[in-house]
Amino acid sequence: MSSYSATAATRRGSVVPPLSGIESNGAQNPIPQKCDVLISGTGLVESILAAALAWQGSSVIHIDPNPYYGDSNSCFNIDQLLAWVDRVNRPPSSSELAAERIFSNARLYMPRPLDSKKFLVDLSPKIMFARSDLLSLLIKSRVFRYLEFKALGNFHTYENDTFDKVAGSKEDIFTDQSLSLVTKRNLMRFMKFVLEWEENTELWKPYQNESIEKFLTEKFKLEPQQITELVLSIGLCQSLEVATPVALSRIKRYLVSLDIYGNFPVLFSMYGGAGELAQGFCRSAAVAGATYKLGTAITSVDDKLVTLNDGSRIQVAEKIVLSPSSAVKKENTKNGILTRLVAFVAKDCKEWFAENEQAALVVFPPSTLSTNNKTSVQAIILGSGSGQCPEGVSVWYLSSTEQDPTKAQRDLEEAFTKLEASILRESTEDFEFENIDESDVSYRPDGMPVLSSVKLGQSMQNFVPREKLQYLLKLSFVEKVEYSAQPDAPILPEETPEASPATVLRAPYGLSEISYDGILTQVKNLYTKIVGSDDDFFDVDFEDEDEASAGANQTNSSAPNAIDASTVNQIDSRDDDIDEFGQDMEL
Amino acid sequence: MSTPRTSTSSPRFAQFKLVLLGESAVGKSSLVNRFAKDQFDDFRESTIGAAFLTQTVQVDPNTIVKFEIWDTAGQERYKSLAPMYYRNANCAVVVYDITQSASLTRAKAWVKELQHQANENIIIALAGNKFDLQESRDVDTSVAEAYAKEAGLLFFETSAKTGENVTELFTAIAKKLPIESVLNRSTRPSGPKGVDLSRSARQPSGANGAGACNC
Repeated sequence: MSSYSATAATRRGSVVPPLSGIESNGAQNPIPQKCDVLISGTGLVESILAAALAWQGSSVIHIDPNPYYGDSNSCFNIDQLLAWVDRVNRPPSSSELAAERIFSNARLYMPRPLDSKKFLVDLSPKIMFARSDLLSLLIKSRVFRYLEFKALGNFHTYENDTFDKVAGSKEDIFTDQSLSLVTKRNLMRFMKFVLEWEENTELWKPYQNESIEKFLTEKFKLEPQQITELVLSIGLCQSLEVATPVALSRIKRYLVSLDIYGNFPVLFSMYGGAGELAQGFCRSAAVAGATYKLGTAITSVDDKLVTLNDGSRIQVAEKIVLSPSSAVKKENTKNGILTRLVAFVAKDCKEWFAENEQAALVVFPPSTLSTNNKTSVQAIILGSGSGQCPEGVSVWYLSSTEQDPTKAQRDLEEAFTKLEASILRESTEDFEFENIDESDVSYRPDGMPVLSSVKLGQSMQNFVPREKLQYLLKLSFVEKVEYSAQPDAPILPEETPEASPATVLRAPYGLSEISYDGILTQVKNLYTKIVGSDDDFFDVDFEDEDEASAGANQTNSSAPNAIDASTVNQIDSRDDDIDEFGQDMEL
Repeated sequence: MSTPRTSTSSPRFAQFKLVLLGESAVGKSSLVNRFAKDQFDDFRESTIGAAFLTQTVQVDPNTIVKFEIWDTAGQERYKSLAPMYYRNANCAVVVYDITQSASLTRAKAWVKELQHQANENIIIALAGNKFDLQESRDVDTSVAEAYAKEAGLLFFETSAKTGENVTELFTAIAKKLPIESVLNRSTRPSGPKGVDLSRSARQPSGANGAGACNC
């Protein structure tokens, strides 16, 4: 019970320069000697938990062995990344043998030094559905006000050597010239059904334990290409074998997220994903009274008396929560792996983005790559508008849930090559299209003509790029994630939801899921083990007394200090039904 | 966060992010509460409440500057401010306590930190707070003023308790902000504007309710 990660002390590297002279000495500002809950690790799960507990009224001390926020969800500049790669690859010292290592096999290729501050590498890039439990929590908790979100509308599917833009809405289906009338009708029928699939049990109950592929083929007569797009791109499932109800809930998730904030289903946060959100929730926890201290690790635990490496001792009344990387290695437990490939490429890749957007998603379904991939390769492409790279550069985040690391690496490299060929082809201005006629041109809902990307893709097999793509940085690594025999399955609580008798709780590994779905379930499981139930999870009425905008016009020069009339954002009426939806998603 | 709204009939309106820095208990929160709410609480223990405060300053008959003011929420105590705190900050108020000379030393370190972490052209003001406690003064005005001049900072001695120089401090910052360039910049160089999560495209009336219109 008292063998904690001794590595933490040695890990206090100089990644972020210490704020010399700023830190008060311990005598002047001692860390509180007692608290209800001590949390080590500032990943997203631990950070939401800290905020939930702090607002619930618990006294929380939140520390992190690293000198930065985010734990395994961090977003690094180049200097920090180099130090991180070094740490990941360093063999453990004898004192570190018991420590958990979340990341392994980090390989970095950087031909030339880069301006450290201009690039940000996200360890856990994620997308957020416009209708999701975490997004509604961001609004309710007001944490969204610390963040900046942007739209991602284009989902592409790679098949038969082409990138096809997914027809995800009614309008897209109507205008898609490549679909026959019968197919369009079948698709429309399915889309109508899936929005209310939970109620229409008689249709899918017989397929409850059958694959979605079988269900869609037999019940809706959908063609393989439509099934692929619906299940693997729109649903972001890992394979067509996924059970029917799971896939249906995931397809619905996309459709109900359209037109919430505009004509796009998902958003991403600027400057990094889960790590940015974690910073926002930590700030929220701090506002609620939680104490924060980075670069601080637990050295020993004696019952409920915790000693930190700064020498302070803390009497913990309730629980100690450890992020996976703050804990000892989990023995005899299965975990899964997620393999990532990240590249900064000297091209803006705007060909893939929807108008006025700076991001796109690309899915390589199983068996579409020459490596005969068993699971999808999913890629998030971000432009400079993400705040993660300079203009004229884009960052590609590819991931694979293939459990054989060698094969996962091969799948990712192959998908990367396809992306490379595609962007070179699409951005080659003098490239001549053969035999283009009117049937290759389709019209978007706004009347703008667009070339069918299927046609564009047809030439791809024979396309020989005239230029080579320039990589500024290429990085691959393996992350331990929550094991799931079926990666798309909803996350279920491991235990009955009652306060756990153990003092030390271990937060779960991350999820391989590319969206944020499932994370709040992980948080609520921990919260329930600490508090006894999640009834009062963020049960706070956050008043916007200080959030003004309408009052600005009333300000006059004679009274610049007048109290600014506060404007309450007109969002609360929405929160409730989104919360309900969040429950649905958890199945 | 500094995207302006413009209008031909009403005053021009530019928003800026302001961050507060300084040692604990020098009166950062009190200063902002005086400015934003015209309130002072003698026994304010620590930062409480909302995400951040806002207040506007009219710099000329046609121009209003709106400050979005980020308090440290206590995260400065153990040097645990997040990068998010500094990001895109247009201006900063570094506060020290005129009755504690050590707090000026810390303030200088915060100025260095700002120059390292924040935007290059961030406008920094140094505020010597607790001006009302003259009998306990520990920092000479001339000493702090000389440092501010050398470091290129705006400088005021303020009292959150009496309100002395508080409005003047923020007005001086507002006048130094690059209002014209912000107002003239319709879109950011980094690309399209972000999505405002507080403004759903879906009307509360449900006329275009999501989930009902995509089939």
